Amino acid sequence: MLKMTMNNQPLSASFRDPSGFLFERDGVLYRQVNQLYQPHYDQLMQSGLYERLVKAKRLIPHQEVSVEPLQPEVAYRVIQPERLAFISYPYEWSFSQLKDAALLTLKLQKRALEYGMWLKDASAYNIQFHQGRPVLIDTLSFERYPEGQPWVAYRQFCQHFLAPLALMAYRDVRLNQLLRVYIDGVPLDLASRLLPWHTRLNFGLSAHIHLHAAAQQRYSDKAVQPGAQQRQVSKMGLIGLIDSLENTVRKLKWQPAGTEWGDYYDATNYTRDAFEQKKQLVDRWIEQLRPAQVWDLGANTGVFSRLASDRGIFTVAADIDPAAVDKSYQEMRQKKETCLHPLLIDLTNPSPALGWHNQERDSLIDRGPVDLVLALALVHHLAISNNVPLVDVARFFAHLGRSAIVEFVPKSDSQVQRLLSSRVDIFPNYTREGFEAAFGQFFTIRAVEAVEGSQRLLYLLERKN
Amino acid sequence: MLLDQLPLIARPALYLDPGSGSFLIQLLLAVGLGAGVAIKMYWTKLKNFFSGKKDAPQPEADAQDDDE
Repeated sequence: MLKMTMNNQPLSASFRDPSGFLFERDGVLYRQVNQLYQPHYDQLMQSGLYERLVKAKRLIPHQEVSVEPLQPEVAYRVIQPERLAFISYPYEWSFSQLKDAALLTLKLQKRALEYGMWLKDASAYNIQFHQGRPVLIDTLSFERYPEGQPWVAYRQFCQHFLAPLALMAYRDVRLNQLLRVYIDGVPLDLASRLLPWHTRLNFGLSAHIHLHAAAQQRYSDKAVQPGAQQRQVSKMGLIGLIDSLENTVRKLKWQPAGTEWGDYYDATNYTRDAFEQKKQLVDRWIEQLRPAQVWDLGANTGVFSRLASDRGIFTVAADIDPAAVDKSYQEMRQKKETCLHPLLIDLTNPSPALGWHNQERDSLIDRGPVDLVLALALVHHLAISNNVPLVDVARFFAHLGRSAIVEFVPKSDSQVQRLLSSRVDIFPNYTREGFEAAFGQFFTIRAVEAVEGSQRLLYLLERKN
Repeated sequence: MLLDQLPLIARPALYLDPGSGSFLIQLLLAVGLGAGVAIKMYWTKLKNFFSGKKDAPQPEADAQDDDE
């Protein structure tokens, strides 16, 4: 969504919609509302819809400000939206995160209709997780409802939300990564081919994906016949369509195969006491550092992330495991936590910069650095499972964080033994000395503590300038 | 296309192409699904009429729904 490029340029993710655009000036994010959008903006603000959605925390609040527009010749207003702590993308969300974003979009559409408006787009990139809940961040998504018109964003909704959710639920949860390849959502013909045949027996999926894809294919190079142009979608028909999409999305469920949510926890090979001691140590260091933002890499279900987020520190809990991220998210929603952001990330191949000019969606690194990176029980996975030399692991962490709390798990530890059991040990430098030499190139070691009852070491590191 | 005939000024939505196939399938689905909504609505009204309930939504329930 936000690519922080040059001052006084529209931000590069913000070029498609002629209603307005985002720009940054002196480190503050603004949105210019164009004259073209004036009647729609006025209706949003005056009808009570804006107030209601902001109160319900479903739309990002903004203030009208009197700063100079970036393009005064077409400007109507400049607004300053509340700034988000972190921007994430749908290919970085777990199943429940994408599902909640989809349901929010439909909820907004229904709510808007009550106020004589509707959503003119249904992009998953318009939804962000803010203070623990999905919110719409594109204030200019609302349009006065042109009664009788079909929903212009129907296809976009199906591509951005319904198709990936159905693929995750019925084929494989990893297929959410198709969103990384297809920036405007999963093509419906592809979704239709990948989904199991029996999904044709599900009315919603049959209608909104399979038949929809067939219709697209059939009419791909044809204009709509003049007779059909006169046909309208009644408001009742539109509500029926939205209800049907909502029912279809609501019924999609995903649970990791062979596990129950209650059982899902990565077993550790050390005692409860050692685990508690590790928590206390990390907690103490977080308290000492007072970071503004923390990224917990390899966070699993976010036990250690919560040491920071429970202190009111905004924390990204990143993990490669869709089940762990989903569990963390569900726990966050249930406990109404507001400072945590579970995130699905493969650190060996983190999200790159994507889209037009490679500038529409930021890479993970572009969204940093942050004050503190946590990397607990992670380095052995990167160094041994993924063959990354320790010095490169250190360089990567130094890129992401100004400080780091890193756990070194030595070869003698059973977790590392497990990783080495099926391969030749080609890691002669994977030792305490090797670790300290590698990390010492980028960081000053502020403290080292042993985790009781294990041979693991915790390092508090500060990046060298 | 119908959408092309509308003045651009009035419809910033036009920045998205709804797609011919998506347009037509939506027309088709909306007829059936709209009828479903209508039947459900009248059925509820009928039921409420005989059971003596009012059919307006409760404002409290709606507010709660907003906060979920």
